[in-house]
Amino acid sequence: MKHIRHLAAAGAAALLAAGGSAAIAADVKVGSAAGITGPIEGLVPPILAGRNLAATHVNEQGGILGGGTYMLVPGDSQCNPKAAVDAGTKLVNVEQVVAVIGPSCSGATNGMAQSVTIPAGVVTLSDSATAPMISFLEDGDLVFRAAPSDGYQSSALARFAWDAGLRKIAVTYANDDYNAGLGEAFVAAFEQIGGTITGKQAHEPDRQSYRSELSTLAGGGADALAVFAYFGGSGITILRNSLENALFDRFLGADGMMDNSVIEQLGADTLRGKITLSQPAPEAEGDSGPGESYTAFAEAFMAAGHEPTAPYVSHGYDVAFLMALAIEKAGAADRGKISAALREVANAPGMVIRPGEWQKAREAIAAGEDINYEGASGAIEFDENGDVSGATYTFNGVGDDGTWTPMK
Amino acid sequence: MEFVNFHLIPGLVLGSIYALGAIGVTLTFGILRFANFAHGETMTLGAYLTLTLVLLAGWHPLLFLPVAMALTALFVLGMDRVFFRPLRRAPTIILVISSFGLMLMVRSLVQVVWGVKLQSFSKGIALPWVFFDSLRVFPKHVVIAAAALALMLGVHVLLRHTRTGKAMRAMSDSPELARLTGIDTERVIRATWIVGAGLAAAAGIFLAYDTHVETLMGFKMLLPVFAAALLGGIGRPYGAMAGGLVIGVVEELSTYAWIGSEPLLPPGYKAGVAFAIMVAMLIWRPSGLFRGRVF
Repeated sequence: MKHIRHLAAAGAAALLAAGGSAAIAADVKVGSAAGITGPIEGLVPPILAGRNLAATHVNEQGGILGGGTYMLVPGDSQCNPKAAVDAGTKLVNVEQVVAVIGPSCSGATNGMAQSVTIPAGVVTLSDSATAPMISFLEDGDLVFRAAPSDGYQSSALARFAWDAGLRKIAVTYANDDYNAGLGEAFVAAFEQIGGTITGKQAHEPDRQSYRSELSTLAGGGADALAVFAYFGGSGITILRNSLENALFDRFLGADGMMDNSVIEQLGADTLRGKITLSQPAPEAEGDSGPGESYTAFAEAFMAAGHEPTAPYVSHGYDVAFLMALAIEKAGAADRGKISAALREVANAPGMVIRPGEWQKAREAIAAGEDINYEGASGAIEFDENGDVSGATYTFNGVGDDGTWTPMK
Repeated sequence: MEFVNFHLIPGLVLGSIYALGAIGVTLTFGILRFANFAHGETMTLGAYLTLTLVLLAGWHPLLFLPVAMALTALFVLGMDRVFFRPLRRAPTIILVISSFGLMLMVRSLVQVVWGVKLQSFSKGIALPWVFFDSLRVFPKHVVIAAAALALMLGVHVLLRHTRTGKAMRAMSDSPELARLTGIDTERVIRATWIVGAGLAAAAGIFLAYDTHVETLMGFKMLLPVFAAALLGGIGRPYGAMAGGLVIGVVEELSTYAWIGSEPLLPPGYKAGVAFAIMVAMLIWRPSGLFRGRVF
């Protein structure tokens, strides 16, 4: 008992001391919404690690707004519009965050933006919402994203399929904003190149089996099946049903499938050579190979014990860092000023700031200089829709070590 | 052959799984007189217990079937002791609501212990036997159907030829008369839970063996299983078996391309079939096919 009382006293003293120093500069809270649980839970921890690394860089190099702590308040959007509205409401109304980064999924971003953040006048900056429809939200310039619209990804994947000699493709997509957007865009892109879509079907996620759906699709005689789904929602089940029933043996997919549990569940040897997944290239391209910005991020991220090529981790870093820059630029934790400030710090012209260069950026902003963040995932120039422009994509297959490996 | 491979066989397999689940629901309904919402989670629990045993020992999941059934039955007996027994004389609605609460508690427990990630008993894929170049039969489907049939036969023997079974039927027909004739009602209730939970665990294990393990699997089975129990007639175990098979087969057949080349019903609406049957039965024949109880 005595020990506990001593501990409590020590804790109180520590709190007082901490409170004393924090009183000089206010802490800044930004919501960090992500699909921590739900159908992409395996993809989210590395992305959060990316965001948190940016916060660490900010706090280690002098903090935000004159020494305050840059705090990312987590919210679980569950990759689900309803949950995202709840998480967003809590962040905006209870935590009183200045702005929100995330959520992860397009449907969640759409739901949260329309129901919570746009009405409240709060900026949303997503690192992985890629559905084309996000561009056209009536958002009063409040919704931004560092991930390229899937208009690009679908074209890139369609081109890849055509170059790989596939002419007839069946398409199935999960009935949500991200997968449906990607699926429809892929169908349009592949038909435009001259390919044939033998059948397309929306499916409901989370079913125990898709045998009957797949047998209908296979009836069209396609060379391959394009699966647009989250791996934990329906992706793994569709691959399993297709392979077990010998309905398809060539698959195409996108970043929502790129989790190692797909390979663990189905077996590397079963999948090798049969599946190709597209992913926005994690690195900004330099003149030859990865650019300086990406290298700066990748080195810091690897030093922290993480894998920088995982889907959207560099985007995660970029949104957290950009948001800090925008707040610093705005000069106050003022929701209304973030949107304009975000464009100023992200877009050219200005002094180039790269990942990790918080101190340099802070000093430049203090001196009244214009800055231009060149992110790990790309140059990040927001257009009038708050989108970044065209990106390059990598194509991944099952590598010799049983993980997703870029194919040359 | 597409009809047999992708609609009839999966329908029969799914139907026998529903049938096992429905027997438990109908027995609880008949003897304890309430709709047990926690029944779905009992199935989930059985599947997860088996998953743990498989991961620990690495044997075939069905070898653990008796163990998992026994463990699940023990768990459910504990649940009855703590939650349902104090409410034995309470109005039905209170029991139904407590079972709903239990459903949420058990599901959360499963999520805390095992996580929300989708898992499966075995890695990799299982290939079918192919007959005549076109008929594709999965060994696992044969095993599931055979095991389910054996369990149903077991239920038949129990109900027809043992004292406990006869007591259960008596309780189901008239609890007051049963009590007057000196039947130990608590004992019959325990037996009901054991049979219901064991069969539910088996249903969960078969479903997981055919597909995968996830925390909402039992909850998603709840509606078709209730529909099967209603279709067969409440309190009628044989009705539940027939109802389960009918619901499973009709669900799968509803997506066959009966007319032209498009599925009769888009597969996304498959789950609605059980619901439609349930509503139709409640309106036009609430006693079910086997003349069950009407509340």
